[in-house]
Amino acid sequence: MSNEVKDVQIDPRGYRFGASVTLVISIIALVLGANTAGVIAMGVLALLFLPGATIGPQVTLQSWVFRKLIRPRIGPPTETESFRPPRFAQQMGLGFSLLAVLFGVLSIPLGFYVFTGFVVAASFLNSVFGFCLGCEIYLLAKRATTRAA
Amino acid sequence: MLIRLIAIAVLLAAASLGYVWWQGRQGKVRRVERPGALTPVTLGAARGPRATFVQFSTPMCAKCPPTAVLLKGVAAEQPHVAHIEIDAAERLDLARELGIMRTPTTLVLDSDGVVVARMDGAPSIAQAREALAAVPPPAEYAI
Repeated sequence: MSNEVKDVQIDPRGYRFGASVTLVISIIALVLGANTAGVIAMGVLALLFLPGATIGPQVTLQSWVFRKLIRPRIGPPTETESFRPPRFAQQMGLGFSLLAVLFGVLSIPLGFYVFTGFVVAASFLNSVFGFCLGCEIYLLAKRATTRAA
Repeated sequence: MLIRLIAIAVLLAAASLGYVWWQGRQGKVRRVERPGALTPVTLGAARGPRATFVQFSTPMCAKCPPTAVLLKGVAAEQPHVAHIEIDAAERLDLARELGIMRTPTTLVLDSDGVVVARMDGAPSIAQAREALAAVPPPAEYAI
């Protein structure tokens, strides 16, 4: 799944900025609630995740804003990271946002709040502490979904 | 509205507590007593004659490459200490057998390939040295 493309090194501050955008939008969605407005907010968030989840976090709108507006002010990065861990995190974010939208459309408020809450918690940890929840979960998910030989 | 804001505050506080607890365990050195040795065939690489760091990583692990650099550095401080990196997502058999739940997780093997210590999460240099110190010193031979 992940071995096909060449590695791309990215500025870790860029996807941390992206996580703070996610945090703001998902908190807005929680405050709006499980109604049309909240579902639209999570739908917008899912759209923002889409390029990062399919190609990589280096092509998202958030990273473009970071490169144009923020990096010129804070200087070049002192370290770079592989794009794969954050791409996996974006895939998780996309999945959770779509589930929140789905539950919202089906008028199941609990499902909407649970998955939006996951997105809030994960993006909070990433933006504030630089902690990648998806990276920690990857091996557990792989262990759970692959049968023993 | 107020209820929702309180719920969000509680959620963020819980996430912060969980993070602090998780980070506290990061890299902590645990002594291990596990019968049996890990052979070079199982590991897919040669062991160090004195000790070996066996680091489990995945391609989705942001802290794994810097941990590999750190462990290679600590291994180079002493003669005959090797560093092996294994992709846990490819070697799920080993990951299951050894109870690897997160990456990086590093096992320290003694000269016979027996696991004597492990560190779950990215270690500091001090923790990596402490883990290596779990390996008994080489026997003195009087010839």
